[in-house]
Amino acid sequence: MTNPNDKENKDDTHNGKVGVYICHCGGNISDHVDVDKVRDAAEDLSCVKVARTNMFMCSDPGQNMIIEDLENGEVDRVVVASCAPSLHETTFRSAVERAGANPFVYEHANIREQVSWVHHGDPATDKASTLVAAAAAKAENLEPLHPVRVDAFRHATVIGAGIAGMKTAVDIARQGIDVALVEKTTQPGGRLNTLHTLAPDGEKAGDVVDAFYEEIQNSERITVYPNTQVNDVKGYVGNFTLTLATDGENGRADTTVDTGAIVMATGSQSYTPFNGEYAYGEHPQVITLPELIQTLAENSGDENTLTVNGKKIRNMVMIHCVGSRRIPGIHETKEDANLNEYCSRTCCSAVLHAGNFIRETFPGTSIFDMYRDIRTYGRGQEELYNRAAENRVVFMRFEADAPPRVESSDTGNFPLSVTVSDGLTFNEEMTVPADLVVLATGVEPTDISGIAGMLKLPRGNDGFLNEVHPKLRPVELPVTGVFLAGTCQAPMDSSEACNTAGAAAAKVSALLGKGYIELDPFVAHVDEEKCTGTGACVDACLVDDALELVETEVAGQTVKKARVTAALCQGCGACVAVCPENAIEVNGWTLKQYEAMVDAIAAA
Amino acid sequence: MTPTGNSGNQDKILILATETCAYPGADSTGQAHSSYPANTYILRVRAPVLFPESFYLDCFQKGISGIIIMSCGEECPYEGAYKDLAKRVDRVYAAMKEKGLDINRLRLTAICTVCNRAFLNEVNRMNDLVQELGPPQFAATA
Amino acid sequence: MAEPQVQHFDTIVIGGGIAGLQSALDLADQGYRVAVVEKDASIGGKMIRLSKVFPTLDCASCITTPKMASAAHHENITLFTYCNVDGIVRMGEEIHARITQNPRYVDPDKCIGCRKCEYACPVYLPDMEQGGFSAKKAISIPFSNAIPQVAVLDAEHCMLCGQCETVCPTDAVDYFMEPETFTLTARTAVLSTGFELSPVKDKAQYGNGEIPNVIDSLQMERLLAPHGPYNRVLRPSDGMEPDSIAYVQCAGSRDKSMGVSYCSRVCCMYAIKQAMLLSGALPLADITIYYMDIRAFGKGYEQFYQNAKAMGIEFVKAKVARINEGDGGSVTVRYENQDGGGIQTMDHDLVVLSMGILPGWRPEPYCPVSTDSDRFITSIKPKISPVLTDMEGVFAAGAAAGPKDIVDTISESGSAAVEAAKYMQASEPILETQP
Repeated sequence: MTNPNDKENKDDTHNGKVGVYICHCGGNISDHVDVDKVRDAAEDLSCVKVARTNMFMCSDPGQNMIIEDLENGEVDRVVVASCAPSLHETTFRSAVERAGANPFVYEHANIREQVSWVHHGDPATDKASTLVAAAAAKAENLEPLHPVRVDAFRHATVIGAGIAGMKTAVDIARQGIDVALVEKTTQPGGRLNTLHTLAPDGEKAGDVVDAFYEEIQNSERITVYPNTQVNDVKGYVGNFTLTLATDGENGRADTTVDTGAIVMATGSQSYTPFNGEYAYGEHPQVITLPELIQTLAENSGDENTLTVNGKKIRNMVMIHCVGSRRIPGIHETKEDANLNEYCSRTCCSAVLHAGNFIRETFPGTSIFDMYRDIRTYGRGQEELYNRAAENRVVFMRFEADAPPRVESSDTGNFPLSVTVSDGLTFNEEMTVPADLVVLATGVEPTDISGIAGMLKLPRGNDGFLNEVHPKLRPVELPVTGVFLAGTCQAPMDSSEACNTAGAAAAKVSALLGKGYIELDPFVAHVDEEKCTGTGACVDACLVDDALELVETEVAGQTVKKARVTAALCQGCGACVAVCPENAIEVNGWTLKQYEAMVDAIAAA
Repeated sequence: MTPTGNSGNQDKILILATETCAYPGADSTGQAHSSYPANTYILRVRAPVLFPESFYLDCFQKGISGIIIMSCGEECPYEGAYKDLAKRVDRVYAAMKEKGLDINRLRLTAICTVCNRAFLNEVNRMNDLVQELGPPQFAATA
Repeated sequence: MAEPQVQHFDTIVIGGGIAGLQSALDLADQGYRVAVVEKDASIGGKMIRLSKVFPTLDCASCITTPKMASAAHHENITLFTYCNVDGIVRMGEEIHARITQNPRYVDPDKCIGCRKCEYACPVYLPDMEQGGFSAKKAISIPFSNAIPQVAVLDAEHCMLCGQCETVCPTDAVDYFMEPETFTLTARTAVLSTGFELSPVKDKAQYGNGEIPNVIDSLQMERLLAPHGPYNRVLRPSDGMEPDSIAYVQCAGSRDKSMGVSYCSRVCCMYAIKQAMLLSGALPLADITIYYMDIRAFGKGYEQFYQNAKAMGIEFVKAKVARINEGDGGSVTVRYENQDGGGIQTMDHDLVVLSMGILPGWRPEPYCPVSTDSDRFITSIKPKISPVLTDMEGVFAAGAAAGPKDIVDTISESGSAAVEAAKYMQASEPILETQP
């Protein structure tokens, strides 16, 4: 195919010397793709000067092959064919950079996730060769690019002042960065404000809140916004502008905050059982674990027996996994058509911690613990389990498809009976008369559809925010400059929430510490020689002020030309499609490059 | 490099997959090791709104049998881009009709980062179609 | 190459596994100068030796190598591999770490990693990097994706034939290399010394590690790894492809007789993961997991467990009482079925013991930091900052502070980095002037 704009061709032709490097991925690729054949096919491409293979391109020897070829001047454009670019594109760009070349003369071919893991035999090898040819065709057309450097506010905003938000705010402020701590309720503390003592060691929840609260109150760098929600978000990494709406005595007041990064610490809430779930809502003596914890604070501890709702509790049944670990086909979906399939992580220890407290404080109260698996995984938690056994808590195990039945009872003088097929006693059906049934309700994320929508943050079906990658970038969200901490990501206990908060604070500190940030250079670029000032691109642009027509002198005449404000340009390319002169392109993703790739694919 | 005609495998499907949604969605399908036809070529794009009408017609001209635009749909990180894209695709459909091309050869869809099943459905449907229709035949040379 | 006697940093990280690397990267990205001290000849820790990781089933190498490479190339990070820590003490405002560089008998500045020495060496040894299933040479690069790519000579088994020295193109081999000691000083330290598996040989009921087809879970990781010893899953005694594989959970945890009363936290998930990988590698094999409780508590873990059940992996709620050698290389598992059925026995072709997690390093007598009854490093504020130890300016991250999966380790390591940074800011604020 020939380019219709032949007259420009001379100017745009590169003599790119492309190096192609194909990864075996230790068999992940080479078990299904004939890597040597792919290399041979690449060698036949006119633009390719060198084609090599390696067991692990991401390893140092693999990267060193690229570096050597670049340093020797054998190649000046690089293609690596390996796993998904999300894993190693930056690895190889930095290898290119270490060789003294511009990191953007690099193109990635995805032959693992999109070839060897989904295709087999000759078609897999052929497709890998084609994708390499396409990548080489693009690489030949790549130009060196330079990052856009923008000033950044040395200020971060933390949304949610539960334990994760408080810890994040304190940790960031101590690095010399100002923090706005936004809390929708009247005071910081989050769910800790509703708890009594914490499993497994029994610290008072209030003490844990106070440990942060005092520093937050006294820190010159932290501004707390209680009764406040984020109403609007504008801008980009380093330069966000938030509109905060604060409810006060005189109605709502708006505040504008300039901030460099946003940390989502919006937390979670306890699952509310539906009406009739284990007789909840139908019988007053069926309560949730958070409700039990509230009543524990009210009990004096002088009595031999726990009292709840004015009733002495002789027998108490605790049921695990209420609103958690649901299985499609066994459990009914919620109103929003979702099932809480996940484990809520914290309830087992919380149940045992409360159970031990009750057994040790009110020996007249017996406890029957009905569970699926006891998940006392953390440090000090297995001891809780052992102690519960020593405290003569009676454990009964049920299967997901045979949950305990809670019924009103007229036997004896117990208001309730709970019947379960107990896996620990050869599935014998047992009925326990009870004064109280406590449901260990799971964790659900706070409704953050507003802010998540504004920032376009991804959430799973379960409503928790999804990190970029659980191991590579566990506290980052896909929107650059937006991070997460605590239980908005998944259920976790205070220790774990504090660890994610610290990790998020470390990332924010590294991002904003310098006062400037380097952004991807993938922004629109105007070829002023071609631009005739039609303004079509300005009309098509989706961002206010990113593109404008400016007057400029050309050969003594005043003409209009399009101009890009790089820091505002999102690089979407809406302008590219409408330019009648092909005078505007997105750096690194040009139409010409795509056309070259299609040619290579069509030619295969 | 000048292509020497469509000597290799026929009925190629080009997939324009957005880097924030559909491209990771295709990767997710790969991570699940879910097999699908190998005549599919995924190009990573920031936003498909970049491509002018002529790009699609050129692709068909070059012998591509089907194109699936896998966008982010409502999840598009570029506000307004999806709407513009949908309008453009309508204009491409009109041009395709003019040239006697079955408009089902071009499909606009939304694929999320974990939409493995939707991804497979789209690919398999387009493959069935292009197998049936064969390479694109233009009513008149463009 | 002689190291200077004393080198100064902002933070010394002890342990170059995923925890230490993450802490080092998070500190270095903030502008702090970090020394990473690693006992092995390569950084990467346990994670780089794994096959794939739950719950995403990413290959472990793909996730670890970028972090290893970033740390190795970071301008603020200096790696000290193949080093022992002889002592860590606080002296006034500084932490002093006394380090011994073990001799590789290969000059790391000269070695180009070409492996000519390895090819020439006539001495074969069991390759513990491959679970002991395959052989390596007495001089070799530790493993394919090791960083640094420098050969190490095993002095204990070397017969001093001189062949490696002869073939080395850079004269890097030096049989007379001696250990060298030097001192690192810093304002803070992060202890990320990781874990070891509880040893099979301590478990008499399970055969003390002497039954041929009873292996531990890290050995299975190697069998499953893409660059493992056999490139496929075979049982070690006779190279047979196993038709029936069993996992024994809590083989070294929740077990007072082993001195490990705690839950090791990762064994349920790694067993399920391995079972899923096995059912991919050996579609016809029966896979059974004998367990007490399945602890699939993390993000996406429960769904992962349910998927495994749906794939046909059999979960038997049972406590395994004894394991004996059976006929023809088989292994007899005697267990108490807790879902009815009482005491039962079953023969399997291969049995994997999900051994527990023990601390990888005992601070005593090297470092005056306290440990708990579980022998992991004590956290003085487990709720608000689990990484704080009772030694000023010293923080703990990852499995050194209790068994932990990779996801939790990485966030804890970030947390340790920020605590170290906070400590340094408080002692000598660098605030706005920081580069």
